[in-house]
Amino acid sequence: MNRVLGKHGWTLGLLALLVLLFGITRIIQPNFGASGLDSLSRAALPFAFATAAMVIVVIAGGIDLSVASMMAVAGVTAAVLMEGAGTGGTLFAVAVVLVAGLAMGALNGALIVVTRVPDIVVTLAMLFVWEGVALLILKAPGGTATPWLREMIVGPLVFAWLPKSLVFLAVCLAAVWVPLKRSKLGLSIYAIGSDELAAYRSGVSVGRTRIAAYALCGLLSAIGGLTLTMSTGNGEPIPGPYLLASVAAAVLGGAVLGGGRGALLGPVIAVFVLRLVRMDLTLASVDPNVTTIVEGTIMVAVVMLGGVLAMRRRRA
Amino acid sequence: MKRYLGTVAATAVLATGFGTTAFAENYTIGISNTVQGNGWREEMICAMKAQALSSGEVDSLNIAHRNTDASGQLEDIRNLIQAGVDAIVLNPSNADGVNSAIEEAIEAGIVVVAVDQAVTAPGAYILSNNQEEYAYLGAKWLFEEIGGSGSVVYMRGAAGAGADNDRDKGFQRALAEFPDVEIAHEVFTGWQQDQGKQQILDYLATGIPFDGVWTSGIDNVIVDAFLESDVPLVPIVGADNAGFVGQLASVEGFTGAAVTNPGSIGGAGVTLALQILDGDAPDSNTVLVDPMIWANNDPEGKKLIEEAQNPNLDPEWPVSVSIPGWTTYTMEEIIACKGPGE
Repeated sequence: MNRVLGKHGWTLGLLALLVLLFGITRIIQPNFGASGLDSLSRAALPFAFATAAMVIVVIAGGIDLSVASMMAVAGVTAAVLMEGAGTGGTLFAVAVVLVAGLAMGALNGALIVVTRVPDIVVTLAMLFVWEGVALLILKAPGGTATPWLREMIVGPLVFAWLPKSLVFLAVCLAAVWVPLKRSKLGLSIYAIGSDELAAYRSGVSVGRTRIAAYALCGLLSAIGGLTLTMSTGNGEPIPGPYLLASVAAAVLGGAVLGGGRGALLGPVIAVFVLRLVRMDLTLASVDPNVTTIVEGTIMVAVVMLGGVLAMRRRRA
Repeated sequence: MKRYLGTVAATAVLATGFGTTAFAENYTIGISNTVQGNGWREEMICAMKAQALSSGEVDSLNIAHRNTDASGQLEDIRNLIQAGVDAIVLNPSNADGVNSAIEEAIEAGIVVVAVDQAVTAPGAYILSNNQEEYAYLGAKWLFEEIGGSGSVVYMRGAAGAGADNDRDKGFQRALAEFPDVEIAHEVFTGWQQDQGKQQILDYLATGIPFDGVWTSGIDNVIVDAFLESDVPLVPIVGADNAGFVGQLASVEGFTGAAVTNPGSIGGAGVTLALQILDGDAPDSNTVLVDPMIWANNDPEGKKLIEEAQNPNLDPEWPVSVSIPGWTTYTMEEIIACKGPGE
């Protein structure tokens, strides 16, 4: 029991925070129910994929500042390819977007490994490159999303309180994360993030692992971009506010900037916590300029509290 | 059981409420905007607050006002639906991207009014400045001013934004009418003052001659850049922002024109929403507000510019702080920027 608590303490704490917030939501808005849950889950979707993308490179000891721009490229590509497309065309568009995501991420990783320029510099440069690419594909919001694809994240599935979008999120993340966690590559990603030299001496191909981590980051960003197009019904070339939000949720979720530690569940719960905080502040009609201050304060407070608890545990 | 009783009580209250008065007259209005920290948008928000207060029909405003994309606006609109507002007034991030949430709102019986830019969702009301006409009027004046031939610097808004795209259509329409005018340099200011100023300073530094500047509302800093660099002024087109309108009246040897683009359209949106809630919906779902041009080399324009001088306004705020027939607040009320209950 203690071992489970110790290992998953942070995630369980976040889960408790989420439950508490749901309680607060019910107090502010007694009618909050299935439709509210659906709204929340749909809003969380792009943030959750951006965060998952960020977490993988953070675990590998890196950072990717081009996450939001890659999402924009994926979103506009999907919207352009799906214009007037049937079922076959839509599946083709999805496949192209996923491959493009992998390729963009792999290019980011390869540039870092080959040029040895720090990841923060390379991905900052690529932020502008992918932003330009998105604008070349689509000058202004446009394109369409195939209706049946959009329906995949609208409304409940089987039970009234189970949003389809939540199932979509769980299935997509599990499809990437579960095999990765059980594979040698997954172990190598943790290893290079924890101690690059030790990993190298243990026979891990550091360069290849890093490129793979960035490629997976690109893939998850592309799925995030796809969900943007699915929810809005068109492609937007200007990147949304996903970069800083993803770093915030990764840290709040227990991933350590610097690498080697973290998992996917905590950060994804953190995304829901942050979205629910925003929903509560809107429901309580708090001054919008105060809202961002509250969001930031909660983040700092939670991370600090976590630090204090971890220190106490070490002393005990 | 408790909840059940609560529901019964609420229904009873509602029933008696409807029985005694025709209109509740204490509405909650939701506001959604996706650009924060820009003078025009801040004036729009203040106009919404001032009009809600002045109408006396609004109990509270739920304001979702932040920098985000269409997906973030979907989240905000859905949160406003959850908050149970009676009407939502929004400045849409783009014409199609937020339709799904607007449709959900209308289904929930909420009145939706889009201001400034249009949305394509059926059932939504649109009260918009005519952006294509905005660019056409200013560009046409500029091209005539430079004698129908020469080169101009084209300083656009934000790449990929719906309003920028509409304005580009108007600009290109005017350009097509003047085959001897060409674009010397085209940049996106992102509707940011500092960025626009840097861009014009960079271009002035190249020394390449040009005959005029068209701006998408980032205007007073462009005039400043000419003055600071000691370069002779060329005709410049801007918006009716307080700073630029001041320059049109006071800078010696400067010929320019301001095209109106009232941020107070936000207040008009609140009025329209309240009219619909009170059962007085307009015949058409779309109401377009056409821009006017005030040129300082034309007696009529000059008179309007002089009347519009207002040193109390932030230089980035449009001087047209009210729209006759649509807004009822005073100048002091919009500058105070207070909504009901604040």
